[in-house]
Amino acid sequence: MIRKILQIVLLALLTGACTEKIDITLDSTYTRLVVDGNIESDTGAYAIALTKSADYFSNEPVPRVVNALVWISSGTNTFLLHESKKGISGIYETDSNFAGYTGNTYTLHVELPEEIAGKSRFEASSFMPSVTHLDSIEAVFKPEMGRKGIWIIKLWAQEPGNESNFYMFNLYKNGKLLTDTITKKVVSEDKFFNGSYMNGVPVMYINNDHPWETIYPGDTIMLQMSGITKEYFEFINEVKQSGFNIPFFSGPPANVNGNVNNGGVGFFAAYSNSFAKAVVK
Amino acid sequence: MIKKIIFPLLILFLVFYETQANVDPNSKPLRHSISGKIRDLHSGEALLGATIFVKELKTGAVSDLYGNYSLTLDEGNYTLVYSYIGYQTIEKSILLNNDLKISIELDPQQHQLKEVEITSEKNDKNVVKPEMSTFRMDIKTIQRIPALMGEVDIIKAIQLLPGVQSAGEGSSGFSVRGGSPDQNLILLDEATVYNASHLMGFFSVFNNDAIKDVKLYKGDIPANYGGRLASVLDVRMNDGNSKKFEINGGIGIIASRLTVEGPIVKDRASFILSGRRTYADIFLPLSSNKALQNNSLYFYDLNAKANYRINDNNQIFLSGYFGRDVFKNNFAGMKWGNETATLRWNHLFTKQLFSNFSLIYSNYLYNLGTPAGNSNSFDWNSNLRDLGVKADFSYYLNTKNTIKFGASVIYHMFNPGQAKGTGEKTVFADVKVPNNYAFETGVYGNNEQKIGEHVTVKYGLRLSMFQNIGPGTVFHYDSTYTATDSSVYNAGVIYNTYIGVEPRLGLLYDFNSKHSVKASYARTNQYLQLAQNSTVGTPLDIWFPSSPNVKPQIADQIAVGYFRNFRKNTIETSVEAYYKWMKNVVDFKDFAQLLLNNKLEGEIRNGKAWSYGIEFLVRLNEEKINGWISYTYSRTFRQINDINDNNPYPAPYDKPNNISIVLNYVISKRFTVSANWVYATGAPVTFPTGRAEIGGKIVPIYSDRNQYRYQDYHRLDVSLTFFSKQVPGRKFNWDLNFSVYNAYNRHNTWSINFTQDNLDPNVTYAEKVYLFGIIPSITFNFHFNND
Repeated sequence: MIRKILQIVLLALLTGACTEKIDITLDSTYTRLVVDGNIESDTGAYAIALTKSADYFSNEPVPRVVNALVWISSGTNTFLLHESKKGISGIYETDSNFAGYTGNTYTLHVELPEEIAGKSRFEASSFMPSVTHLDSIEAVFKPEMGRKGIWIIKLWAQEPGNESNFYMFNLYKNGKLLTDTITKKVVSEDKFFNGSYMNGVPVMYINNDHPWETIYPGDTIMLQMSGITKEYFEFINEVKQSGFNIPFFSGPPANVNGNVNNGGVGFFAAYSNSFAKAVVK
Repeated sequence: MIKKIIFPLLILFLVFYETQANVDPNSKPLRHSISGKIRDLHSGEALLGATIFVKELKTGAVSDLYGNYSLTLDEGNYTLVYSYIGYQTIEKSILLNNDLKISIELDPQQHQLKEVEITSEKNDKNVVKPEMSTFRMDIKTIQRIPALMGEVDIIKAIQLLPGVQSAGEGSSGFSVRGGSPDQNLILLDEATVYNASHLMGFFSVFNNDAIKDVKLYKGDIPANYGGRLASVLDVRMNDGNSKKFEINGGIGIIASRLTVEGPIVKDRASFILSGRRTYADIFLPLSSNKALQNNSLYFYDLNAKANYRINDNNQIFLSGYFGRDVFKNNFAGMKWGNETATLRWNHLFTKQLFSNFSLIYSNYLYNLGTPAGNSNSFDWNSNLRDLGVKADFSYYLNTKNTIKFGASVIYHMFNPGQAKGTGEKTVFADVKVPNNYAFETGVYGNNEQKIGEHVTVKYGLRLSMFQNIGPGTVFHYDSTYTATDSSVYNAGVIYNTYIGVEPRLGLLYDFNSKHSVKASYARTNQYLQLAQNSTVGTPLDIWFPSSPNVKPQIADQIAVGYFRNFRKNTIETSVEAYYKWMKNVVDFKDFAQLLLNNKLEGEIRNGKAWSYGIEFLVRLNEEKINGWISYTYSRTFRQINDINDNNPYPAPYDKPNNISIVLNYVISKRFTVSANWVYATGAPVTFPTGRAEIGGKIVPIYSDRNQYRYQDYHRLDVSLTFFSKQVPGRKFNWDLNFSVYNAYNRHNTWSINFTQDNLDPNVTYAEKVYLFGIIPSITFNFHFNND
């Protein structure tokens, strides 16, 4: 949140800056396995996408990894994932009755038919943290902020004080996920309200400038609050920063740190959810 | 290793000095000293660095920072030549049969007729002083340099020197010989200025109207300075005209300035008060952008100084600086700035022993917050305060030996940051990074010794000590930089001490004052550093000290140079080569969290760095044309644990080829034209070479660190100044300055962003951000005196 304000302040000082598209020639790089997927505490079929990395300016869909053997283990339990036959390839799904348990550690195993960067077996582990109960939410419109006003989503919940908690927030409008790419998801640590009652803490800002994702009175919104690991919190933050290069705040660009071993890229996440709904007034 | 060489060397010199001094004192003729002060005839302003040359002996002295000089010679008849660049030279014949006090007032040459072009031949300090890797500029030189928005700036002038790189377009940060911007010690009347930027660096905190003189030490750092690895930028404020009242001012397109100075007691006490403020925000309400209309964005600063000459041997100076930047809109506000204050007592114990005692205060603070009254209002504060005392002595033993010694203690108080909710029903808990405290002490001694006709050596030693004092909390980190536990120390407990031994050596071989070779070695220690991993710098500076977890940074620099002057010293040329080794250099892990982080030390990664280069400089001081032309080839690298797979990489300011051309041409008494052109290899940068698709986003996979470069940087600035008619005795004078920044409108890269196309998410493209196109501006300056 402070970072957000900082960016607004500092960027305002740069209103005179200009941009132009330029051509740059970049070297090629070797291919890495990319893992992207998660499991949650609610019952459902969860998908893991396996793809390969490509050259930066390849400008076409990334290659998919098919015919891999994919399973998730937790303690002595093993859950086999099935390659989805419909839609795009390279998606591996759990059974539809899968549900994760908070406090468990889940390990994703991938065995490839062909090696990528000299490796054919990969693993990624994630602990599934718990999440606090979400009491209620509210959307407040601030017409004076931004160009066409901004909706602030506020929440009410008790923050457990005993430990460091990390949260991810997703927003649904009339059942449709608005935070549909990783960079739109909001993540937060409890540094500023550890152990206190979160009494209308603003968690998300919806810009009226973007008609496809703004909300209107009468809409039903649902906030999904997820308890995530510190590693996943950092991963999402790093993904957000990785494409962003303003010399004022960015350190030197660096690769995001995922949890896949053997040189794989990406993240296998496990998290628990809590939901609250409200009708926008 | 180096230590092993230096100490025997040092001992050798000292022994040598002893034997020199003990040579049969009885056979020597009587010796007397000549001392005094050198001042400007019109303003009474002390002239620092003026030369006093003894024709018969072909030797001389240079006035110190307060305009004082001292020479000790055998009894006899002498001709003394007093000179200072831009001033008429004065020759004085004396009979030295007892101690003499000769204070001289030099006349600025611009009011003089051409025929006084006498023997200014003795401005050969560049060749004959055992000092290298320095560059001095008086404010007049700086004022002629074309500037962004017409606002002439010391730091922008510094960035045009060989061996100095700008941290980024428009930035006040600079890198000296490959060092980081936080490795520069910036002093304003001896007080440390921790953040020299206004308006994100587009302006520096130094108001030219209040500044007398600027000197940059890029190496060969004298023993009286310590605490930073790369450089010292010593900025001195004007004392104020002690002869008459003067008002100077300027009106520019974005800022105005006003300076008042004059005597409090004629020739004894004077003051200067100088202020400026930008008013760009005054025009914001006219903006068509609604969001901008309620913004305010400005800075102001004030310089004040007073001095009182009690008698010939005692003078007191009180000077201060206060500056603030303010940014505010409906949503948030931010304020930052420096405050400094210096109280000095300049005392001449004898005609040969001069001293200066200083009491110094410095504060850098910032504040960020949202308007109070909401449940999510908050306020965030941080500051760094220094309280220091200092004593410096100069002992002009004889024409062959000048000894300087002294000591200083600084008490640092760090408040790295505190953020708290300000609303009645605040949603935020307080977050505070605990304050910490430290003592930084330095003791030094240095002798500059002439040996025979051609050789001068300089040998000195600085002992520095840094102590962390409680209250404080020190976290212990394991090999993965994770804090395991912590030690808590009570108030007043010294829980960590570092001692640094910093030899400083210099050697000059002078070929009959025509040309010379010089060599120098300096070790410097640095105990404070900036938690900043952006290249440009923001106001949100967090300086953090050495501690049990953070070892002091240490640099060793050697330099050799050849110096030669031409055309009666109006053309100075030099070539210098240097090599610098740095250890315990601080960098930060990838995606480091630097703000409001009480485990900041866990984000640090240490390593080593090295840089080398060669600098060619031609400096012109002709009647009609002055300025400089320089070319630099330099490299700088780092190797930091855990960064770039432990492989060396080019440091952020590694820009191998550099050209600066800064020229000022006097067309007539009423017209001058100036131009500067700069060229630098593009800054190193890390670009993505691969892509991974994660969560609907293209995530870049990067090359090795700093494997690519931006396009080369070059820029031309020009300016034309038109002066009012010079009539002797006229009280009001003015000049009008037209300047064009980036005259051929080059779009120099500030940053490059890689963007995912909105329509086709598979497509990414590179986008260059540049800050300035061509920027013309006009400034009106006026000068009034009650002569």
